[in-house]
Amino acid sequence: MGIYTERDKLVTMEEAASTIRDGDVVAIGGGLCMREPIAMLRELVRQGRRNLHIVGTAHGFDVDFACGGGIVGAVEETHVSFEQDFGLAPNYRRACETGQVRIKENCCNTVIMQLRASEFGVPFMPMRSIKGSDEIKLHPEFKSMIDPFTGKKIVLVPALTPDVAIIHAQKADIHGNLKILPPYVADVLFIRASKRVIVTAEEIVSEEEMIEDGPTIPYYETTAVVDAPFGAHPTSCYPYYAYDREHISEYMKSAKEGADAFKNRYLDKYVYGVKSAEKYLEKVGGNVKRERLASWKEGRERWMELFTYG
Amino acid sequence: MGEKFEVGIDELFVVNVARTMRDRTTVFHGVSSPIPMVAMYYAKLTHAKDMVYFGGVSSAVDPNPPFFPPTTNDWVMIQGRTAMVTVDKIFDLAQRGELDRSFFSGAQIDKYGNQNVSMIGSPDRCKVKLPGGAGGCNLSGDCVNYTIWTTRHRAQKKGDRKFFTLVNKCDFVTNVGHVTPYGRREELDLVGNGPDWVVTELGVFDFDELTKTMRLRYLYPDTTVNDVLDSTEFEPIIHPNVGVMEMPTREEIEIIRRIDPLGIRKLEYPEQELARRFQI
Repeated sequence: MGIYTERDKLVTMEEAASTIRDGDVVAIGGGLCMREPIAMLRELVRQGRRNLHIVGTAHGFDVDFACGGGIVGAVEETHVSFEQDFGLAPNYRRACETGQVRIKENCCNTVIMQLRASEFGVPFMPMRSIKGSDEIKLHPEFKSMIDPFTGKKIVLVPALTPDVAIIHAQKADIHGNLKILPPYVADVLFIRASKRVIVTAEEIVSEEEMIEDGPTIPYYETTAVVDAPFGAHPTSCYPYYAYDREHISEYMKSAKEGADAFKNRYLDKYVYGVKSAEKYLEKVGGNVKRERLASWKEGRERWMELFTYG
Repeated sequence: MGEKFEVGIDELFVVNVARTMRDRTTVFHGVSSPIPMVAMYYAKLTHAKDMVYFGGVSSAVDPNPPFFPPTTNDWVMIQGRTAMVTVDKIFDLAQRGELDRSFFSGAQIDKYGNQNVSMIGSPDRCKVKLPGGAGGCNLSGDCVNYTIWTTRHRAQKKGDRKFFTLVNKCDFVTNVGHVTPYGRREELDLVGNGPDWVVTELGVFDFDELTKTMRLRYLYPDTTVNDVLDSTEFEPIIHPNVGVMEMPTREEIEIIRRIDPLGIRKLEYPEQELARRFQI
């Protein structure tokens, strides 16, 4: 929601991040370890943002990193893990178990229906699932009632309108048109349901090229655009790069050891004082790393290797 | 028949999960589901060629992945697809009562098939935060039926204490079974019929129609009814004709090895389970 018609929406990462306020409800795009706006989250950690209320579906590196970076106050995601590759999310776990973040765990279709209510401009949506689950204990805002039409039990879930959605797109133009390649996960819903949409893009292209290509999202739905090459790393952003298993493996070691180890060995090394995209790329392995992560295109064997190294 | 052929529990397990799928049905797997991922593609290549296969959160229809990665959200999982949908469309299908099957697991599973994927402890005193159910709380209510799987049925002994996955009571019910803390499925007006199969590394269960509790149907060649009882905190029903699962053929096992060269089907087991070998 919100209509944005500015011709030039290009801002710096610092400028874009500074418009996100402490306590904002934030939808982070992508999912699990794919196409998540990690460069923006690093900037929010550097700026010392606090108490963000994170909403979404099945996530991984992004939410774990944000919890470890101390910027999160509540998590309303439906799942946070590194799946079978690295398992439980250590920073997220620690934040939940120590009470640093409030557990508002939700369920995928419930989030989808809540975002749809916002997108559709209606106050709530009726659902038939959730009933029987303790998830309802975490959401006193949900209302159980009898459907006046069928006489059956239903649950009403209120519209979810994030203050801001942060989306990493493959391509954007400065007017805010976006090319996002599937899977979209919940990104299109986030864009239509959120008050503001901040986009970080792997590539900024001309408006002519974008129109020729056919935007996934039209300009009037986005608020600001940031040039962010390698901006999803270490999550994947195909076709540019697969996920960086070696980097995530290093991340996991310090995150599992504890909050101090994570700060000293990860945040100090890759976040604080590493402001520019160039410097970050250099820190994580430079062009050698970038080419390696792009080598999935060279065939099945190379692609498989990217899931075993590290 | 020629010489004997050796297979692992990981391969027999995939076969058991695949056998819960039927041809010409709609099937979806969720996140953190390496075994269902492999089993779905295997089913599609064997007995369920016209099954509509939704490849997880990547949301490809009938993908032909060149291999299986250790994540469900990756471009590997959209290769060779017929079409892309978005994940919300799969949930719509389920809400309409048209998603025939999905697959769920849990750190705790009770006799009615309720599962805990959320936390050990309580929301006020969370001892261990588990990943969360993703779409499970919705889909366990909406899917026509679903398969529960766990590779951690075998109880763990620590000192004098035994820790169970198949428990008397879940600390938190994320995904709903047949009788929930809030009532039976029929009383809740849920869309789907609940879990109909439970596949573990010790055996395969269905549910007794009258009591809606887990009932042991099949064992592996190296497990016994007593192994199952020892590792189950509640008392499961034992089917009068409980027997050893029907073994797959060598050709069927070779399909599993071919489609899963990285062996992601093995990622969920405690190490000692993978040492179990079987001759076919």
